Amino acid sequence: MRVVVSICILILAAAIIVGLMRVLTAKDLGSRAIVSDLMYFAALGILTMFGMLASSSIVLDAIFLASMVGILATIALARILTRGQR
Amino acid sequence: MNDAVAVTLVGVLGITGSLLVLVSAIAMFRVRDALSRINVFSPATGLGLPLIVVAAFVYDLHAEGFRLGSLLMAIVAVVCLITVSSVASNTLARASVLSGQPIHRKTSPNRLARPPEGVVDVDPDAVDDSEHRD
Repeated sequence: MRVVVSICILILAAAIIVGLMRVLTAKDLGSRAIVSDLMYFAALGILTMFGMLASSSIVLDAIFLASMVGILATIALARILTRGQR
Repeated sequence: MNDAVAVTLVGVLGITGSLLVLVSAIAMFRVRDALSRINVFSPATGLGLPLIVVAAFVYDLHAEGFRLGSLLMAIVAVVCLITVSSVASNTLARASVLSGQPIHRKTSPNRLARPPEGVVDVDPDAVDDSEHRD
């Protein structure tokens, strides 16, 4: 279990690093917003995998709550892009 | 559940989900504008994260046995990831179009709203009767 979970953490960390490079090289704000949203979900996966690695019993609770409130960050970025207007 | 079965299921589901997230991150380099990036973002939240949730549920099933609360939580998490990320992507795409983010010419979204190439508005064979009018 420890080996496969570590492989998953490495892959997700690579995804976050690739996303950070994309944020650094992006020119427009919309691309930065969507790539940071991708990094949020990759960090959510890493959180889940760390919970499995630590034999925690609240793995599902964490990913359940984070998937429910994950819309807030995206909506906030969208609202920032349109400068507060709908 | 057998130990090897649990490790295999968690490995296959978790690594497939993580690879989908990584492929989405790499695809951010391949496409050229914000609209296409929102488009290629959906494999991560539509399939990758639900697979990771299923892997977490298999781990929970293996570690602590079957609980109805865990099953409900996993189902609600998968449904939330699919619907919530779809609505959020739609909102973000609308915001990026409305705020005038640059759109690459290959993903121009209003191709159907314009007349195609080579269209003429006047009929070249029609008789021009403008000089007979007065």
